[in-house]
This record gives sequence, structure tokens and C-alpha cells, in this order.
Amino acid sequence: MINLALMPIAPETYRKIIAAKWYMDEHFHEPIDLDRLSREACLSRYYFHRLFTRIYRRTPHQYLTQKRLRQARQWLADKEPSISDICNNVGFESIGSFSSLFKKTIGYTPQFYRNRALHQQQQARQQPRSFIPQCFANSFATPDPATPQPDPQQ
Amino acid sequence: MITRLSHVTLFVLDQQKAYDFYVTKLGFTVHTDATMENGFRWLTITAPEQPELEIALLSPHETMHPDPETRAAFKVLLEKGALGAGVLHTPDCLATYEELKAKGVVFKSAPKEQFYGIEAVVTDGVGNWFSMTQPKPVDFPVTG
Repeated sequence: MINLALMPIAPETYRKIIAAKWYMDEHFHEPIDLDRLSREACLSRYYFHRLFTRIYRRTPHQYLTQKRLRQARQWLADKEPSISDICNNVGFESIGSFSSLFKKTIGYTPQFYRNRALHQQQQARQQPRSFIPQCFANSFATPDPATPQPDPQQ
Repeated sequence: MITRLSHVTLFVLDQQKAYDFYVTKLGFTVHTDATMENGFRWLTITAPEQPELEIALLSPHETMHPDPETRAAFKVLLEKGALGAGVLHTPDCLATYEELKAKGVVFKSAPKEQFYGIEAVVTDGVGNWFSMTQPKPVDFPVTG
């Protein structure tokens, strides 16, 4: 049996795998299965799955899930759309499975993640200094009027 | 006792173009984006699988370097590409090379076998270049 892990991959084959990855990047909101991806790559299901996993160190399914969760995090950092819309827009079929996978992977529920992100953004606007290490803030920004400055005479 | 590196500075010619390269093209994550009252923007990003190291993308402007000579010196060095910034790891150098090239990223050199792995040299378009390396031996676990 041919050992795919050791076989060199031709540039044309790389391009086919990349095309399937880009297909997932653009169509993550749709139901995508291995048949669809292998057709996109013009490779057999088996060969495509083995090559994709070898190149990206994760299965196509794992990559797609990561892509969906990454997109969900980006949308959750805004007030809109609603969490149920985000769930649908990133391709999950039920809010329950989306929420539990999100919590398992990210560590917070989608609602908690959104509240936290919005709070941090508000704080970054109102108190940007609280996000910047003091030495950087002192070197690169005008002094904070609330912070006592050293006496230049001393 | 020093235990870890939490922040590192990467000087760039233009913060917004740097954002486009690192976040949009390379898939880095924005950690903090806060602008101070004088316009100084603290923009930090993290690599996709390294959330604990913040890379501060800073462009030398008047709020950082009031001295125009210092700013000009920074600009000259960045424009010359004289500040090689570091090494980026990839699980597959050839695939990442093909993918980034198709996204319009410019490389100083194509993937080549080295004693430490397969390496290409990529430019960020805002003054820096990186070794993009697939380390040897390739022994990554499949992660979820």
C-alpha cells in the first residue's frame, strides 16, 4: 500500500487542497460534507481527506468547525446580529449544539463572550490606558493628567 | 526569575496595512485595539495557535518619537527592509506558500529545504520579513 505520509505532493495537488480550504472559508455557512469538498478538489474522498489532514494537521471537519467558531467570535464582538442568527449564519443547525461547542472550545457561553467583548471595547474607548502597559503609555503617549508626574527639579 | 515573554514590539510602516496583512491574510487574532487621547494606537495581535504572546504593531509617528530624525531613521530602515523580524512556523511550508502567494503576499524566496526544515522568506509589506518555516521533524498531533 502506498504511504501517503511520505509521498511528495505536486504543486497542482497543493492547489486543489487549497481550493477546497478556500471553499470552506467562503461557504462555511452552508452544509458541507466530504463529498462536496473532494469534488471541489477533484480528488477521491480518501485521498483528499488524507492529504488535507497531512497538510493542515487537522481533518477537514475540524478545520470547518474552527472556521465557523472563529467567524462566530468575530460576529459576537458586535451588538448585532443576534446569537441565534449567528448560529444559523455560521452553519450550525441548532443553538444548543452551537452553544455547547462554543463553550467547550472557547470556555464561555456565546452570551457571556459577547457581554465580555462589548464591555472590553467600551473600556478600550473610555480608558485606553488600562489596556496599555504603563511603560509604553509613558513613553509613547501624553502623560495622564490623573497620574502624578515626577518633579523635574528633583 | 523571568519566566516568559508576553509582549513583543513589531515596528511597521502603516498599522492599518499591517492589520490587513496579519489579521486578514495570515489569520492572526486582534487582542487589543485601543487608541489614546493623543492618537497613539495600541494594536496587539496574537498568532492563531499562540494566544499568550501579544505582538504590538507600532508605527513610528510623532506620539511615539517626537524627534523627526528618529522617525525618519525608523522609516528608512523599514523601507529598506533592514529589520528582519523573526520566524513563523507553519505545518506545511509549500501549501502556505501557494496559499499566501495566491492572496498577493510577496516572498523574498520560495520554499527550500534547509537542515532545520523547509523555509521560505515572506515579507509583510510594511517593512519586515520573516522566515516561514516548516520545522523538521514534522511531528504535529492532529488537533481539534
